[in-house]
Amino acid sequence: MILHRVRDGLPLMNLVSLRAVPILQQLHLEERLLRSSSDNWCIINDGTNRPNIVMGISGRPSELIDLKSVLRDRVPVIRRFSGGGTVIVDDGTIFVTFICNKDAIPGLQPYPHPLMSWTGQLYKDVLHGFGDFHLQENDYAIGSRKFGGNAQSITKNRWVHHTSFLWDYDIKNMEYLKIPSRAPKYRSARPHVEFLCRMTEYVPSRSTFIERTIASLGNHFSVKPIHQDRVIDPSNTLHSSSKLLTRQELEEAYSSLCEKLHIAAISV
Amino acid sequence: MVMALRRLCRYARPRPPLPLAAIQSPRPSPESAPPPLSGLSSLLPLSPLLRADRTLASSSLYSLFEGSYTATRNRCLTTQAWVDAPTGEVVEVPLAQTGEGIAECELLKWFVKEGEEVEEFQPLCEVQSDKATIEITSRYKGKILQILFVPGDIVKVGETLLKIIAEDAQSPLTSECHEDATSLNSDLCESDSQRSSRKGEDFKGVLSTPFVRHLAKQYGLNINDIQGTGIDGRVLKEDVLNYAASKGIQEERPSLSQVNVGEPGLLKEGKAFHMHMLDEKCYEDTTIPLRGFQRSMVKSMTMSAKVPHFHYLEEINCDALIELKAAFQNENTAPNVKHTFLPFFIKSLSMALSKYPLLNSSFNEATTEVILKGCHNIGVAMATTYGLVVPNIKKVQSLSILEITKELSRLQQMASNNKLSSEDITGGTITISNIGAIGGKFGSPLLNLPEVAIIAIGRIQKLPRFDDDEIVYPASVANVTIGADHRVVDGATVARFCNEWKLLVEKPELLLLHMR
Repeated sequence: MILHRVRDGLPLMNLVSLRAVPILQQLHLEERLLRSSSDNWCIINDGTNRPNIVMGISGRPSELIDLKSVLRDRVPVIRRFSGGGTVIVDDGTIFVTFICNKDAIPGLQPYPHPLMSWTGQLYKDVLHGFGDFHLQENDYAIGSRKFGGNAQSITKNRWVHHTSFLWDYDIKNMEYLKIPSRAPKYRSARPHVEFLCRMTEYVPSRSTFIERTIASLGNHFSVKPIHQDRVIDPSNTLHSSSKLLTRQELEEAYSSLCEKLHIAAISV
Repeated sequence: MVMALRRLCRYARPRPPLPLAAIQSPRPSPESAPPPLSGLSSLLPLSPLLRADRTLASSSLYSLFEGSYTATRNRCLTTQAWVDAPTGEVVEVPLAQTGEGIAECELLKWFVKEGEEVEEFQPLCEVQSDKATIEITSRYKGKILQILFVPGDIVKVGETLLKIIAEDAQSPLTSECHEDATSLNSDLCESDSQRSSRKGEDFKGVLSTPFVRHLAKQYGLNINDIQGTGIDGRVLKEDVLNYAASKGIQEERPSLSQVNVGEPGLLKEGKAFHMHMLDEKCYEDTTIPLRGFQRSMVKSMTMSAKVPHFHYLEEINCDALIELKAAFQNENTAPNVKHTFLPFFIKSLSMALSKYPLLNSSFNEATTEVILKGCHNIGVAMATTYGLVVPNIKKVQSLSILEITKELSRLQQMASNNKLSSEDITGGTITISNIGAIGGKFGSPLLNLPEVAIIAIGRIQKLPRFDDDEIVYPASVANVTIGADHRVVDGATVARFCNEWKLLVEKPELLLLHMR
């Protein structure tokens, strides 16, 4: 039986605040905490060190990214351990991850939709007064424009819900991503620039958003800051299924795509 | 912490890869209705429709997983001879409802293999639905009998994931007892029931899965009023159905077990609609999963719609054609052959293409090149019960009308039995659709990429027309619509091509002049 630590009647949550940590390292940390810890965790990474493309667990590069330009510009491509779609992240992205035991939140069933609703409500409180926040299908949106994308991984006793928030973004980076064939209905086939928005246009500062998120968490958990040195261990990849795709893999995907197009064009 | 460590150890245990030769593809039992949804801890059956290409594609993905997760496709599919006779009940375990609106999941990987002993709550596989990867645990202690899906497969909620010989398995009715999707232990369940409810639901004193709650809601029932027959008083699907029946509420609902899960491309459309017409279910929505040819049509038409089309309409006088067909039939040298108009349209089309080869080409967008095809491989659109298929007759320029007729008949036969080979359906250079055989005067057909032209022939109608002496007479007239890729072909070219074709059909004697 797992003993859950509680303080002041609320379950304990360890908070790790990071700044510009590489996203792959963050993903390794999250997966390790998901699989080998029994505590609740919140990871906040304020920006990542350089632009990276991050696909979901079953993402196929040829379908999701513009391989030619990605190869040309040597943009790192990562396949993460959770489901969901493809994002390009950089120092304008704020990451917030919750890793919890499935009974951490009273009455919350550990399924995708309830988790999405619960976190949606949390961020609604965080952004109250700054914009017309909506949980649009599985995205966080202001009005009908997405500013946060979500993904989850649900295991036997725990779950992780992580979000990449677009504090700011470079439209040129978005061009590395294809418009996905599988998109939420509310997207209505809009290109990236018409579908997304920047939090910086609504919220005064990054720290405002982060502080309010931590405060909102405090309504559900007893939040305890943990220094990153106690948890970050770049050499420990025991449970890491998030992987950086090699150049060879990307090149093979690109060649195979070209071949398919070529065959389709001259089929006899 | 101890339990977490124990799990760590289990995952870290290396599992040897199994020989490829041992891979078999088990058959499902499509006739058996999958047991009611029993939560996330259920297992998913493997589809018998194993796709070899999927094997190769997914093996590269799973080689990325190190150490902990060592399930590979090879492992999953290996059968292992039973040394001991299996005891206990065979339970078919379906993919449970993982949330509202989630109708299917992609199977990502297996953690177990056939023949392996599993414990209750042991993780069995991982699936993905939309944004979430979800670990599915076993509700039974027992032995894996048969795995029915492979990584990469899309599994519908309710489809049997795998079969397990459960120790101490109860009867199918009460095997529903382990309804909890994430294998909550009994202590946790009790504490769950005491906690405050989620919005719109009341957990007090009632244990059940989200699916069962949803089902009760569908019937307009308060789940708290229903006596649960599962472990710890859990309310099961049967409890809801029985309660609904006792209340005189319409008993049968279109459950997921009625969703067509069959061979690729098989659509039991007629049967499903017939059933619905017979009773009040005719007001219910029916979900039809698109497979096989229908699924391909989704993809191909989506791509086709991106090409700038233009459509050209012309009227062809078929009087001479009708006479010719009658003559063929009367002088029938091959009694088994039924002569129709289509082979003639096809042959004359090929003759016209010899003069206008641009309409028998394909466009390579990447290199902005047009490839004029040497062969006239004329595709004929066929509507079958499995969906729209377009097999093609190869090298029509070298075939006689009789040969075309026979080949057409062969392709029609194969199509109606869903036995077309890949050779039959690839390599087409232009497509003809005799939609008029079913009905209609005009069409605006979409291109069958990468071809640049498509022809739809409407119904032959008897209409009044003027002859050369300006006297009205009844003419057999068919409207043809030519759809073309405007990136490659212009109106003038299509018009001239069509004039040529029209001439050959209206004056078939000209075919003799040009025929080789």
